[in-house]
Amino acid sequence: MRGKSVLARRSALPVLGLFALPVGWAFLLLIVPYGIMVAISFWTRQFPLFVPDFQFGNYLQLFSDPQYYTVILRTAKIAALVTLAATCLGYPLAYYLVFVIKTERLRALLYMLVIVPLWVSYLLRTYTWKTILGTDGALNSALKWLGVIDQPISLFLYNQWSMVITLTYIFIPFVVMPVFAALENIPRNLIEASEDLGVRPFGTFLRVILPLSAGGVISGATVTFCLAFGDFVAPVLVGGPDGTMVANLLQSQFGAALNWPLGSALATVVLLIVMALLWLSARLDRAGRVALG
Amino acid sequence: MKAGKRLAPFALGLVAMAHAAAAQDLNILTWEGYAPETITRPFAEASGCNITASYVGSNDDFAAKLAAGGGVYDIITPSSDTVPLLSQAGFVDPIDPAAVENYAGIYPEFSQSPALNLDGITWAVPLIWGSVSLIYRPDMVPGTPDSIAVLFDPAYAGKISMWDDKSAIYWAARYLGYENIFDLTDEQLEAVKAKLIEQKPLVRKYWASAGELTELMANQEVYVSNAWTGLTFKEVNGLNKGFTVAEFNPKEKSEGWMDSMMLVKGTPNQECAMKFISYMQSAEGQCALAASTGYFPVNPGAVAACMDEATKKERQVGNIDFVKSLVMWQQPARLDKYIEVWNAVKAAP
Repeated sequence: MRGKSVLARRSALPVLGLFALPVGWAFLLLIVPYGIMVAISFWTRQFPLFVPDFQFGNYLQLFSDPQYYTVILRTAKIAALVTLAATCLGYPLAYYLVFVIKTERLRALLYMLVIVPLWVSYLLRTYTWKTILGTDGALNSALKWLGVIDQPISLFLYNQWSMVITLTYIFIPFVVMPVFAALENIPRNLIEASEDLGVRPFGTFLRVILPLSAGGVISGATVTFCLAFGDFVAPVLVGGPDGTMVANLLQSQFGAALNWPLGSALATVVLLIVMALLWLSARLDRAGRVALG
Repeated sequence: MKAGKRLAPFALGLVAMAHAAAAQDLNILTWEGYAPETITRPFAEASGCNITASYVGSNDDFAAKLAAGGGVYDIITPSSDTVPLLSQAGFVDPIDPAAVENYAGIYPEFSQSPALNLDGITWAVPLIWGSVSLIYRPDMVPGTPDSIAVLFDPAYAGKISMWDDKSAIYWAARYLGYENIFDLTDEQLEAVKAKLIEQKPLVRKYWASAGELTELMANQEVYVSNAWTGLTFKEVNGLNKGFTVAEFNPKEKSEGWMDSMMLVKGTPNQECAMKFISYMQSAEGQCALAASTGYFPVNPGAVAACMDEATKKERQVGNIDFVKSLVMWQQPARLDKYIEVWNAVKAAP
């Protein structure tokens, strides 16, 4: 016991030196700004700027004026749809890569192809969807050429669907990566054992593979939901007049409206929503964890 | 000393940076198209000041960027409806008109306007002006439209666009027949809001920048919109897409705007900034900016020699009566309320 404490004391300084930078960084650039944000959320807007104060008017406004909760609910709906679509497309893709592709090289190549769009600017990828979905875009041109339609369809772009399509495309890699890792880590002998015991392939999937990859699904879905929830580019580029999301509202409060107090209150609410979600996701992950061994 | 040694390279770097700054930089926060090479290069040769330009998408960006710590910019160029806010917020320094060359040549209607001169102090020097009118596709809109009604006509459902800005309120208010569009009552604002929400299903997209409107028009996404007079018209027709666009002034009037130069508070590059403000009142400055944007010069004397007669007519040179045919932008009496209403329109389902 005594020896241990000496060891701990001796290593305290180097340990401190080792972690001072990351801990200091987290404190200075994450925790302090959150504190400032929460503090400003109690300030008061006073034309043309705002003054320090302590009052709950900003929060009251958020929950009483329909323009704010309408947008928060809309954002949650779009993020949920994106998460659902990205998971439904990303899981089979990861499954295909891990279990169906037989050669290691082809698997690595296809995996890279899924991941490689992340190297391209997010803005550019979103913008590309405009040229695909537009009235004069690639999709309408192709349908016209095939003779399916004779007038371009305007429903593809500038609405909530185009936002869901674009965001799903962008976030699929964030589902594929953790699911791929989870599937790869499943010991093959478990699957063989299941098959040896006469369980049909679908049964093996439901009772062995799916539970063992649930952690990957949860982390992929959580990341996708949080990223989609905070997106502000898709509404501007491919969203229509009904596409305002919560991040656009935030941008407007810190920009046009010059109402940092209200913006901070909104940001605090968004932070709480995301934190609640992370907590839920961590609990789900723990509850669903299957003991191997 | 040890610490000093370790810091030496760092300090050297700082000195190098300071030296680069001494080579006379001028940072301008302005609109796209306002700092073309036809201005920056001759200005650098004449003054020794190198211009770095950053761009805004709307008048609301000026105060937002300065509020977030504005040490980066020396000159900003907001429209006259935003000038009072910036001086009220204390983001700018006053300007001595006597130090601006050619100041007397500016239309007095602009240089002496109350928005630019608060309490006998000059806060801004006019730069360029223009109007916001309506743009449409003559091949898609039958007859000759003469009213803002075209922006609210279900016949063009899904083919209408509007600037994503509080000025949407001004257009809807005029359409509803209100005269006091910068000082609407609560009831009037409610009616305007209802009208704009009613219009939403007809709107394809609210445009955020002139470039976006050009794209929307060129890609046949929309047939009618409000637009910077001259600019979108010139750009879309210049693309030779197999169709053309036309502009018109509705009977409810078009809008007029005037951009002015303001000096950011405590700018270290005041000398360059003042040189720039003077340069923009010269023949070179006014003609280059008018040519690059398609907008109208504020200094008729300056452009006398550098603009041909046809262009002068097109750019309303000397025709101050044209201003009276427009609704010139003013800062709304209740700016917060207007922005809240516009945000509520955009948030509505």
